Amino acid sequence: MNEAASVVWVISLPLLGALLATVWRQYAATIGWVSSALTAGCAVWLLWVVQRAGVQELALGGWEIGLGISLYADGLAAVMVLMSSLVVLGCSVYARHYFRAQRQHELFWPLWLLLATALNALFLAGDLFNVYVTLELLGISASALTALGAKRAALRAALRYLVVGLLGSMLYLMAITLLYAAYGTLNAVQIAEALQVDPLGWAALLLMLAGLALKMALFPLHFWLPPAHSNAPAPVSAALSALVVKAAFYLVVRLWFEVFAPLTTPLLANALGALGAMAVLWGSWSALRAERLKLLAAYSSVAQLGYLVMFFPLLAVLEGEARQWLFGAMVLFALSHAFAKSALFLAAGILLQYAGHDRIRELSGTTQALPLTTFVIALAGIALVGLPPSGAFLGKWYLLDAAFKTGQWWWVLVLVAGSLLATAYVFRLLGHAFGHLPAVKRPVVAATQEIPALALALLATFGLGLGAMSLWSWLAHTGTGAGL
Amino acid sequence: MNLLDGLWGVLDLLLVAVLLLLAMAAVLSSDRRRSMMLFIVFGLVLALVWARLHAPDIALAEAAIGAGLGGALLMATLRRDTHQQTDQFPQHPVVLWGVGVLVMVLGTAIAWGLFSVLPTVEQTWRKGAAVDAQLAFSGVSHPVTAVLLNFRAWDTLLELAVLLAAIFGIRALGYVRSAYVTEVAFSQLAVWLVPLLILMAGYVLWAGAHSPGGAFQAGALLAGAGILLRLAGYSHAGLPTTRWLVRLGLVAGTGVFLLVGLGLLGWGQGFLHYPIAYAKWWILLIEMLATVSIGMTLTLAFMGGIPQKEAA
Repeated sequence: MNEAASVVWVISLPLLGALLATVWRQYAATIGWVSSALTAGCAVWLLWVVQRAGVQELALGGWEIGLGISLYADGLAAVMVLMSSLVVLGCSVYARHYFRAQRQHELFWPLWLLLATALNALFLAGDLFNVYVTLELLGISASALTALGAKRAALRAALRYLVVGLLGSMLYLMAITLLYAAYGTLNAVQIAEALQVDPLGWAALLLMLAGLALKMALFPLHFWLPPAHSNAPAPVSAALSALVVKAAFYLVVRLWFEVFAPLTTPLLANALGALGAMAVLWGSWSALRAERLKLLAAYSSVAQLGYLVMFFPLLAVLEGEARQWLFGAMVLFALSHAFAKSALFLAAGILLQYAGHDRIRELSGTTQALPLTTFVIALAGIALVGLPPSGAFLGKWYLLDAAFKTGQWWWVLVLVAGSLLATAYVFRLLGHAFGHLPAVKRPVVAATQEIPALALALLATFGLGLGAMSLWSWLAHTGTGAGL
Repeated sequence: MNLLDGLWGVLDLLLVAVLLLLAMAAVLSSDRRRSMMLFIVFGLVLALVWARLHAPDIALAEAAIGAGLGGALLMATLRRDTHQQTDQFPQHPVVLWGVGVLVMVLGTAIAWGLFSVLPTVEQTWRKGAAVDAQLAFSGVSHPVTAVLLNFRAWDTLLELAVLLAAIFGIRALGYVRSAYVTEVAFSQLAVWLVPLLILMAGYVLWAGAHSPGGAFQAGALLAGAGILLRLAGYSHAGLPTTRWLVRLGLVAGTGVFLLVGLGLLGWGQGFLHYPIAYAKWWILLIEMLATVSIGMTLTLAFMGGIPQKEAA
């Protein structure tokens, strides 16, 4: 089988799993984690292929690109697929013993694997309309999974999530209609080559940015995120916060730096950066004030996505080598957040099962009862604050460096304020967790739940912190096929 | 000739005006039942507009799915709505004005973009030319089917997966009380309409190879038959009574599509790369099973999701 087949398998395997899990319900959990494991294996294969043989472009059906759809895997896409597959694998192992109700169990696995399919298909899509289809699959499966939270609040959050997602997709679709009318193709690379600076291009760019900003919960369009992410079941929350919003961010990166490159002025980049800065401040402040652990984690996601957008104004003015390193740092930050946030949500799920609640004030004794889970929370906290050794530290450090280099000192203020607030909310949480209670019983926690959480937290901190250099350098120099 | 063109022009303007008025009336009406009725009529007028734009496939799909099945789903929802209250729109004037301004900005942006492209749109219609050039190698002679099942088959495969996610999503939202009243009129109607609908579905499916039609329209017709049966008092709506058979039917379309794609990959052809000589038969096989899956999915959507133990 040829190398390009790895691109097909990372999408087909979870889809095949979803179909099998639908028919053979009694083996759904086994089908689920086996297909996740195989997908993760294929994602490693794909990264290896891209690293060795360069960008993989696959014209599906053998038709010329533009008539047919292409799948496109460069370094950035391959890394995103690996990130998504690893988080999905961790959550799949965790989910085997998580759901108690039969109904949740039966619905979870097909929807979960469809979510994984949608993510990988989105990361690898080379066609802007195909991206729309993957966004639909992603939005519908994500909101359906949110509704499995079973409580009334979860249903309300899921429906709002669905409607917001549809609105975002609709804006994106309108932009595609404009682009197709103007250029007669839906292929991203062909549109990028043909794109002209004219009203149509501006309208398309603004529509796409608005739609995707809604989907990635960029301030002030983040209103739907905290209820949805905090009321979903733990493995679902983990994927929503770590991957689903990241998928929208990934599309913004693709469109911004590759398709719409001639239109992205520093002014627009600064406007985006300003929204990001407000997201950092507002998200961190709300996380500090949150009463519940899952709500804290959800608000922290709003802030972390803000940091990612704050890279844009600096990337707009930097040039050459420094810009490439900064781009790599941004991807590293995104990866670090994905692993850290999924670990935090999985740990929160264990806590919820043990204590029956996740009210931060009443978490005393957690360290005695659940030492490993507390360790996971601490590791995830390190990555969220951006302390060494974590990928987020490298990302933030390089962002700081770039802000000084380009003389845009005001981003530094936001970065410092955001990090201080993050330190405060992480230590407030740990402070309560380390509170001592006499005679705490050690509960029986399935190792299949604690180990995946720990593995993800270790990836976010030591994995991406100490082992980041080669990945960073590779991302910086060969990250995108378009050569940024 | 000129007079005829002028008359069509007047008719087109009238259609567009009616469409806009219906849309506004449907959104602004405070009575849910009236909103839904207006929305169904809106779908029918939209189908006419598609027909005027020489897009019979979309017109068929809009009439069957947008107006027909969409209307049936909306009505079923209204029936289950126990509150029966008028809608509470956000009354705060700041919210209303804010939304209004946003919509205006959006509309202006789209209009701005469209006006800039209108003068050149004829020349840039490259894609249509490419479809015509390759049509002979696609296995079918109807360009829309060639795009959906061959050139852009990957989109269609994922769309089928979207349907699957949607049907699970309905179940995830909770159980549905099955409070159907059997209506005698429907059982009389079902006797002769259901066989006719199934026959029509078969025809529309087969016709898709050379003229407007195909799996989605045929599936919608099958779903129409299913809904009619349900209304006539058949609690399973003509679906298999064995639950695993239902689930197998739901995944059949996506499953065979994916397996054909992967099989061709394993055979050295490339993913979803049909050999030209057999393309027609692969497409027909995929479309047949997709029709079954679509019909079952839409029927189940009307019934409130996949039946579970002790649930229905």
